[in-house]
Amino acid sequence: MKRSTRRRLNRGVLYAVLLAVVVGLILGVDWHTVRANFFSPGARDNWHDLITVGVKNTLIYTFIAFAGGLVLALVLAIAKLSPVAPYRWLATAYIEFFRGLPALIVILAMGFGVPIAFQWTPPGGVIGAGLLGLLLVAGAYMAETIRAGIQAVPKGQTEAARSLGMGGARTMVSIVLPQAFRIIIPPLTNEFVLLIKDTALLFVLGVTFQQRELTSVSRDFMTSGATAGTATSLLQAAILYLIITLPLTRLVAWLEKKQQRAR
Amino acid sequence: MNNRRLPAVLGAGLLALALTACGGGGGSTTSSGAKLVNSGTLTVCSDVPYPPFEDFDKSAPTGFKGFDVDIVSQIAKGLNLKLTIKDSSFDALQSGLALNSGQCDLAASAMTITADRKKNLDFSDGYYNSKQSLLVPDGSSIKTIDDLSGKKVGVQQGTTGKTYTEDNAPSDAQIVTFPSDAEMYQAIKAGQVDALLQDLPVNLNHQQAGGYQIVQTYDTNEQYGLAMKKGNTHLVDDVDKQLQKMHDDGTYDTLYNKYFSTK
Repeated sequence: MKRSTRRRLNRGVLYAVLLAVVVGLILGVDWHTVRANFFSPGARDNWHDLITVGVKNTLIYTFIAFAGGLVLALVLAIAKLSPVAPYRWLATAYIEFFRGLPALIVILAMGFGVPIAFQWTPPGGVIGAGLLGLLLVAGAYMAETIRAGIQAVPKGQTEAARSLGMGGARTMVSIVLPQAFRIIIPPLTNEFVLLIKDTALLFVLGVTFQQRELTSVSRDFMTSGATAGTATSLLQAAILYLIITLPLTRLVAWLEKKQQRAR
Repeated sequence: MNNRRLPAVLGAGLLALALTACGGGGGSTTSSGAKLVNSGTLTVCSDVPYPPFEDFDKSAPTGFKGFDVDIVSQIAKGLNLKLTIKDSSFDALQSGLALNSGQCDLAASAMTITADRKKNLDFSDGYYNSKQSLLVPDGSSIKTIDDLSGKKVGVQQGTTGKTYTEDNAPSDAQIVTFPSDAEMYQAIKAGQVDALLQDLPVNLNHQQAGGYQIVQTYDTNEQYGLAMKKGNTHLVDDVDKQLQKMHDDGTYDTLYNKYFSTK
């Protein structure tokens, strides 16, 4: 057999296998049950609440947690690079602690643990408490990203700035940080996408009708409204999450490509 | 073996795997023709903890205890099956996801029989008449459901207690939804909600623990049922026969008194 013939044959077999798997999946699926569970005809009634309450709150919560986390992370990153040892220790301890805990536990601690222990509820009620929990965790992750970004800026940049007579703080704010942020936009966008999904955890603290984010709204439709008794609304929420997150992840890919070209 | 043939061989293997995967519908049937997820075993899903209906118990053979657990133990015994109990989420149980995806044969989770749930589930005969109730901290000014005006009341996602609250509480009451009783109980302790509206026996448990009292009960003509996969009529018949047998020979009354005796 000629080598090219053999190669064509091999490729043919691979295509046949792929086709068989796809056909097998299509034939193997219990479409009747799937339709009853995930494609209830009442789905049209759900979109309004899913978008005006669910998507809206999901985005608001994500922006708050991200912005808060970013500010916290910046402070932590600078502390971790500080020449004063206790600041480094504190920042390191914080980062290790909150990176090591599940976000769910931190949220529960902020929502239930803190009010029980100190008789004090963070501003914004339970949602405020939950968001505080989320941003504490997000801040720990982003701090490491920012620190790596700062360290990736060549030393010569700092030296040049200092030799022009700029102070330490001025050098950091006008020379180092802008360059660092350009480097870390992709990982920060990833953190943003993670936060979009993590807002669903706020549900454990209890939410009112108007406070629900996307997952909570869709869970409500599993029991009430036209799609009650089915999981149709979960599928709808999944579609909406993808509509929000896919452009963002594509953006990260595009930024990474662009950065590689710039080097 | 010629290495270049490897893709083809791998492909053939995958094909065989795909075909066998399609063929195996999984599970087995009992002598009466009821389909089971695991042969010789009655696999039961329940959202634990929800005392006194279901709770964890390390010393028990199944790892669980409670009224529902005792009921399904009797049913499994009567059907000559072993019993396995899995902890699951109530959403997944009442929407039919857990049963339709083959995680379990039976959902025993203090689940009220409703028309919406019947869309995706088959139910046994009712085995428990349920009442709803309102729980408030000792010394609270809330005496009836009408006093919830402007207050926060905790309910569980996907339950008939939530529906009852939505239908009967004043329109300016804030209904806060939680994933389960575990979070609701924490929330009232943390002062995040002013009252809990849910199934009477669960609130009774909290009242007995101290610090809280039930101020109102509501007769809603609800009955708990054991849920099974839609179309598994043989199993429904088997379960109903066992329930009837338990009523006839007094086992049911013994179990009922064990958990709900007011004497």
